[in-house]
Amino acid sequence: MIASRLNRTNGFSARLPKLIAAGLVLVLSGCTVNPIYHTTGVVLAGYAETEATPYVLQMTDTKMACSLGEGLDPLVYSFSRVIDAPDSTGSLLMLLSGNCMEYRAWEAELDYLRADYSGDVPAAKDAREVSKRLYAQTATRRYEAFRRAMAAYDFDPAAEPMECPFLFTEQDEITFLVGLLTGMQAIVNDANSGAMAGVPRNIAPQAERAAQCVDNEKWGGLPNAVRALVWLLLPDTRPALSPDPWEVLQNSADLGVKTGFRTSHALQVVAAETFGRPDVLADSIAHFVAAEDQIDILEDYVLLDEAARTVVTFSSDKHWTKNYGHRTPGRFMGKMSPERDTSNIETMSLDGLL
Amino acid sequence: MIRKTLAALSLAAVAPLASAQTATMCVFDVIGANGDVYNMVKDFALEMKTHGVDFKLKPYTDEGVAIGDFNSGQCDAVAALDIRTRPFNRFTGSVSAVGALPTYKDLETLLATLAQPKAAPLMKENGYEVLGIVPAGAGYLFVNDREIDTAAELAGKRIATLDYQKDAIRMVNYVKATVVPSDITNFAGKFNNGSVDTAYAPAFAYEALELYKGIGAKGGIVDYPLAQLTVQIIARDEVLDDDVAQKAREVAWGMFPQAMNMISDLEEAIPDDKWIRIPENDIVGYQEMFRENRLEMRDGANGAPVVYSPKMLSLMSKIRCSSNPGASECTADNRE
Repeated sequence: MIASRLNRTNGFSARLPKLIAAGLVLVLSGCTVNPIYHTTGVVLAGYAETEATPYVLQMTDTKMACSLGEGLDPLVYSFSRVIDAPDSTGSLLMLLSGNCMEYRAWEAELDYLRADYSGDVPAAKDAREVSKRLYAQTATRRYEAFRRAMAAYDFDPAAEPMECPFLFTEQDEITFLVGLLTGMQAIVNDANSGAMAGVPRNIAPQAERAAQCVDNEKWGGLPNAVRALVWLLLPDTRPALSPDPWEVLQNSADLGVKTGFRTSHALQVVAAETFGRPDVLADSIAHFVAAEDQIDILEDYVLLDEAARTVVTFSSDKHWTKNYGHRTPGRFMGKMSPERDTSNIETMSLDGLL
Repeated sequence: MIRKTLAALSLAAVAPLASAQTATMCVFDVIGANGDVYNMVKDFALEMKTHGVDFKLKPYTDEGVAIGDFNSGQCDAVAALDIRTRPFNRFTGSVSAVGALPTYKDLETLLATLAQPKAAPLMKENGYEVLGIVPAGAGYLFVNDREIDTAAELAGKRIATLDYQKDAIRMVNYVKATVVPSDITNFAGKFNNGSVDTAYAPAFAYEALELYKGIGAKGGIVDYPLAQLTVQIIARDEVLDDDVAQKAREVAWGMFPQAMNMISDLEEAIPDDKWIRIPENDIVGYQEMFRENRLEMRDGANGAPVVYSPKMLSLMSKIRCSSNPGASECTADNRE
């Protein structure tokens, strides 16, 4: 009995160094967290940032990219329980998942417009309600994406005076810039939900200031397009002597084509819809389509151009559904009506045959 | 026969709602087609389809241009703030009379009253008809110094004042403050950069226009509704038949809870410590001050402009005295 107790004590002494070592690992890895979780978190967050993000930004399939966001975000961001929150990757994943929700909201909005066109009011009301709920969820996701993008670079968008964040790599720059854009989209989505999501509206002036932290030419005019959109929303934010916001948007759209991604076009289209400029809307959609033949898509950011395409296509579909009851027929993309220009088509006289 | 049927079919394809009446509406919203007001008007328009009217909406971010286009006949109807729609109907344009509706409960009673079929004759004036009234939130005084918490403290202060709002100009002069002419697009900038000491606006502006910047560490928002702003939909009288116009007002009244939800969310989003609560005794004093000014702006007395409708002031007085029967105005000789 006594011997067995001694043996146990000796065994305990023998295991002591191992226990201390394990304890040290636990302490070093953040108290009570399983060290494997910690290591996995660091590896996963690192991999997501250095490999997965560039890979996803090169994808052309926006639907698959958004599914990836919805599927992976809870997993990747759950590691914020054991390591520093992976905010930059988390921002992009949440942004992608916001896109998924918006695609669903768009379908519901087109359902509403189609039912409205055909005079089926109950169906239109139902679809509008569905779209509002989906827009509210989109807004919530996008606001979170914006919040994470700002947190990723320790940037306080409300700080006065504003201090630009340190953006070391191109990926940092685009994550920050797209984060700002996502914040703006969150406001629009929230308004379309009937303000169900309660997204703070001061994101708009904050984005206007923060967009100045990123180079305009390098990023296809997108920073200035964000600013111009805010100037239209809140004329007070427009600096004295700044050019007309519509000119800025056009310049950004042109720069986008030169740079190789047309995200500025998407903003131009949204501005035209928001501020009731059907002329700009028609021109912007036509310009986007015409650019297909000249644009050399920036290989590393194909997804940005494709995401812009979904926005422009939806905008065109909205116009067509509202006016003709259906989406834009493929061959009419870039046109706002089904009329064909037949002025140059010659016809032969049928005299003598009848 | 076949030809006729084909013609009918092709017409149906072009205009599926040929039986519905189409009307255009210029809609003012500070943030255009993606704004809260525009979205609410979309709901209104959808509901109106049930009653055979197909409203085609056009967004405007400049209220003056929206009204101008309505006046020039480019739209059959207009949705704008009542301060702008006063010329079309002085009765409903007086809903936002200064200090006339101190609570949202009173506003609810008023709008429910106005949505009744019996109120229909009051909805028509000068060839225009009111098709609906929806709350846009109470206007509050934003100050850059919490010390400005009495009317007396306003003397000598600079107040951003909408240059087309005669009653506000009158009140600013009355409290011996300085009018700094402004419009919806620039009053916030003036308040935030310190070129005015105070401004008035609904809670919406706190966040969206960053009025918290102008408030800073020392300022706040006086927790007393200066006026109840509403969005009013006005049409030329001949646009809708009387019964359809009445339906429109009922549809707009049905949107009251939706609008109030939005307003209370915006007011609740303002941090509690930014609100400046004023003592009950002072409130009684302000109510009398506003009442006297309303009377003057009803009658054009003491050089005041004639702004308010006697009928509307009388109705709102009844509502106030029903919710607060002990108020001194309820037994005053010069009741509104």
